[in-house]
Amino acid sequence: MYEFVRGPMMWIAFAICILGLVYQAYRLIRLTRRKEEIYYTSESKGLSVSEKLLKFFKGLLRGIRNWPVAVKGTVIGLQPLLAILTFVFHVCLIVTPLFLMAHNILLFESWQWNLPSLSEFATDILTIVFLICAAVFIVRRIFVPRVRAVSTLWDYLLLLITLAPFLTGYLAYHQLIEYETIIIIHILAGELMLIAMGVTKLGHMIFFFFVRLLIGSEYSFRGGTRTW
Amino acid sequence: MAGMANTRADQEAKPVDVSRIKEMLNQKKKMKLFLSVCASCGFCADSCFLYRNHRDPRYMPSYKAINSLGKLFKKRGKVNRETLEEMTDLIYGRCVMCRRCYCPLGIDISSMISWARTICRSQGVYERYDVNAMGSDR
Repeated sequence: MYEFVRGPMMWIAFAICILGLVYQAYRLIRLTRRKEEIYYTSESKGLSVSEKLLKFFKGLLRGIRNWPVAVKGTVIGLQPLLAILTFVFHVCLIVTPLFLMAHNILLFESWQWNLPSLSEFATDILTIVFLICAAVFIVRRIFVPRVRAVSTLWDYLLLLITLAPFLTGYLAYHQLIEYETIIIIHILAGELMLIAMGVTKLGHMIFFFFVRLLIGSEYSFRGGTRTW
Repeated sequence: MAGMANTRADQEAKPVDVSRIKEMLNQKKKMKLFLSVCASCGFCADSCFLYRNHRDPRYMPSYKAINSLGKLFKKRGKVNRETLEEMTDLIYGRCVMCRRCYCPLGIDISSMISWARTICRSQGVYERYDVNAMGSDR
């Protein structure tokens, strides 16, 4: 069982994850293909791509310098605590598994290559922080009416799928349950999350990079064509 | 006005044109993709001044989009007139199309509400401001 979940199952999960994300990105690019000329205001008419990018970053910089105005009315301005919690949640989600010592030892055993590792104490803290954030999100989803109103069964399920590898990983590291069993459950939970990334809305990890560019063009009556 | 055959009464007598709705949904496939990405985080609520005023989840931008266009996509356009009438309350009565809704994931919510309105209007379903200026139940 252990050999199977560490070997072929791992490859299947990674293949579904990567292929799924590539397909989702391809679909986004294809569906937002430019169909008509873009109407520019006189300000940005005739600018080259590099000039437009420069303008974008200048605007970004202006926003950072003038942040009290820039965050007004946005999530950070209205619910700063929750915004920070969301940020911490995602940072822990990405950093913990990548820079976990045990994962890197496994990587080195297989390919004689590994990423830098954080200390076990640090990743332990990150895991606990992650679990607290996830718990807050679950409680929020159940008890805050506006989140509850738009939540489907999938939203709860995906939150649990994301949480499972961390919870089982924590239990396995501290050997609170019989190690042989919990480590297999931990690997399966991780693989389930990878698969979910490829085929469900967890794919927003790839859309993040697109939407930062999409917001400006989609939000300004340009017929929904891609301007980037 | 004898030439105006396409009045609301005429349209009400007609059944809903499912193939036309399907065609209109197909024109905006990317909206289906964007709807599927919605993380149901509820952050968009505060960007709607109607929500901030009423504090009723039915005013949430995502709620309005999911329960109008999202519903149409889910049922693949196979809806009856009553369902469209119900949507009218959300997309006309609880939205003023100010396009100020903000999604942290970058989903353009207002364009979806707008397209749901267009689909409803194509079936002769729209808010009767001449009959009830303040909408149905407000």
